[in-house]
Amino acid sequence: MANVRLVDLTKHYKRGSEVIKALDGVTLDIDKGEFVAVVGRSGSGKTTMLDLLGLLLKPTSGSLFIDDIDTAQLGDRQRAQMRAHRVGFVFQEYNLLSGLNVLENVMLPLRYAKNGKEGRGRAIELIDRVGLSDRIKHRPTELSGGQMQRVAIARSMVNAPSLILLDEPTGAVDTETAQQLVDLLKRLNHEDQVTIVLVTHDTDISGQARRQIRLKDGRVLTDERVGEGIPVA
Amino acid sequence: METIRNVARHKLRSFLTISGITIGVLALTTMGALAENFNALIDGGVAYFGSSVQVGAPDGSSAPIIPISKVDELKKVQGVAAAFPGYSFQAKPGQLNFTFGPGDQIQASDPAEFGWGAIRLTYAQGHAIDAGSQGQVVLGKTIAKEFKKKVGDTIDLPVKPPDAKPDFVNHTFTVVGILNETRTAPDSFAYINIADGQMLLKDSLPGPLKSSIDVSQITQGIAVYAKPGTSLDELDRIAARINNQVDGVKALKPSDIVNGFKQGSVVFTGVATAAAVIALIIGGLSVVNTMFMAVAERVREIGLKKAVGATTVNIMGEFLLEATFIGVVGGLLGYGLGVGIVVIRNVFFPAADGSTLFLITPTLTVIAIGFATVLGAAAGVLPAWRAASLDPVIALRNE
Repeated sequence: MANVRLVDLTKHYKRGSEVIKALDGVTLDIDKGEFVAVVGRSGSGKTTMLDLLGLLLKPTSGSLFIDDIDTAQLGDRQRAQMRAHRVGFVFQEYNLLSGLNVLENVMLPLRYAKNGKEGRGRAIELIDRVGLSDRIKHRPTELSGGQMQRVAIARSMVNAPSLILLDEPTGAVDTETAQQLVDLLKRLNHEDQVTIVLVTHDTDISGQARRQIRLKDGRVLTDERVGEGIPVA
Repeated sequence: METIRNVARHKLRSFLTISGITIGVLALTTMGALAENFNALIDGGVAYFGSSVQVGAPDGSSAPIIPISKVDELKKVQGVAAAFPGYSFQAKPGQLNFTFGPGDQIQASDPAEFGWGAIRLTYAQGHAIDAGSQGQVVLGKTIAKEFKKKVGDTIDLPVKPPDAKPDFVNHTFTVVGILNETRTAPDSFAYINIADGQMLLKDSLPGPLKSSIDVSQITQGIAVYAKPGTSLDELDRIAARINNQVDGVKALKPSDIVNGFKQGSVVFTGVATAAAVIALIIGGLSVVNTMFMAVAERVREIGLKKAVGATTVNIMGEFLLEATFIGVVGGLLGYGLGVGIVVIRNVFFPAADGSTLFLITPTLTVIAIGFATVLGAAAGVLPAWRAASLDPVIALRNE
């Protein structure tokens, strides 16, 4: 069953009289539990696709289904609720709140999903799973880049979403830390059957995903199973 | 908790912003307390003059006196239920002291009149003047405090001024009762009986007249009462009937007196509170500025919160809460300081006649803190709206 379905999804921007086709008629299915890497050059539409999947952007045309819900039918409030319950985000720059400690940062999405009591236990469990139990009261400034990204990954999962979107999550850490983060993601993907869509420039990272979608000029250039080399569509 | 943390993030900036509100509320509290005290006095005047008809000598009379026989004539006018003669004298002649209200006065009246007035006088100590007695006085709370008198003490009235003429006369009265505070005119009144009032009136007459005028047959004024609950309009009609039917007197329309009091109250309250409100609004503008700065500094945070599920209402609510918190803290500090200043001023530096200048009322408390709260919230609306309107995609990638 498809967890995410894009049907002729298009996002155009206007810059003066010029129309920028950031995403141009993308159609694809991503099944539940898949680990997908989206690659491509700068300006290929990777980030736009991620923003559309995360309901941060509205498409110019086409349809996007998440868990079989047609997101085009949703109002702003319902889109926010979808983000709170079904989508997790991880960013290159971590985006942790400096005034909050590790636990509070991980618990931040609970505030908007109204899931406080059960969520706290899940936040503590996730912090343990990402290996930061001994840093639970630490502030972001007291953590390394890798540790901050682990906190961001725990935060993305605290509401038990079905889809996690990662935008260059290893872009600000060294190679060894990047590999540790990917190992963590693979483990969470396997254990929780959460769908992961990861945007990256790093071929070492994208090569470890089970599926790799290459974009060019807003279109899908290739869509293949990595290792198997068998096109998906 | 996060709200407090956000406000504490920039301690100096928050301190200065809260100080702006604090100063505004401090001004509102002290000026408001001054206005409340004045209004309490005015309310007393409105209550008294709005429940009786004051009858005196007609315009153009050679002396402000009328025959006491007019009391019986007045009682015959339709609607009049009671009429009492009265005499009024300055308690401290020749002395000028700044004070709100009528100042210290000696009022000679029939104790039975206490039952008719709108201001109910009750005794903190002692009792009413004994019927048929002479030389007894009941003091209002302020005048008793001013002269440090308690029941059983004596007081010479009128008080002899430092530059008194050789023929100045006063009399010793025994304090038999001290009234509870009314926060209006009776607080500074010394009540004596009619016979003693006539004695003081005689003292005040020029020498040649003292032997020729029978003071027991004249009065300075007569207070006319209708049955309890009579409307102001009906009292006006009674005043008109008196002027038509009783010669040699003039009845003042109660509504004219009441409106005069109210007009004075509105002007004073308006001037006092406007000054304070301007100060407070300036404080509110500093909250607007601070909140806009907070939004500008936290653009990525706002983007992140939207990404993890915050709605427009959530983001607006968070910034409004922060602005309201600043307003509440400033309000509480300003109100606390204001009350402190008022209490110190009232207790340690009362007016020369012992009266207080400020009055903190529950209404003022609600207005001072409530206004600061509403102002804080209102000041947060635009910044909060800007925060909530941010595009999360742009906000997340803000440098």
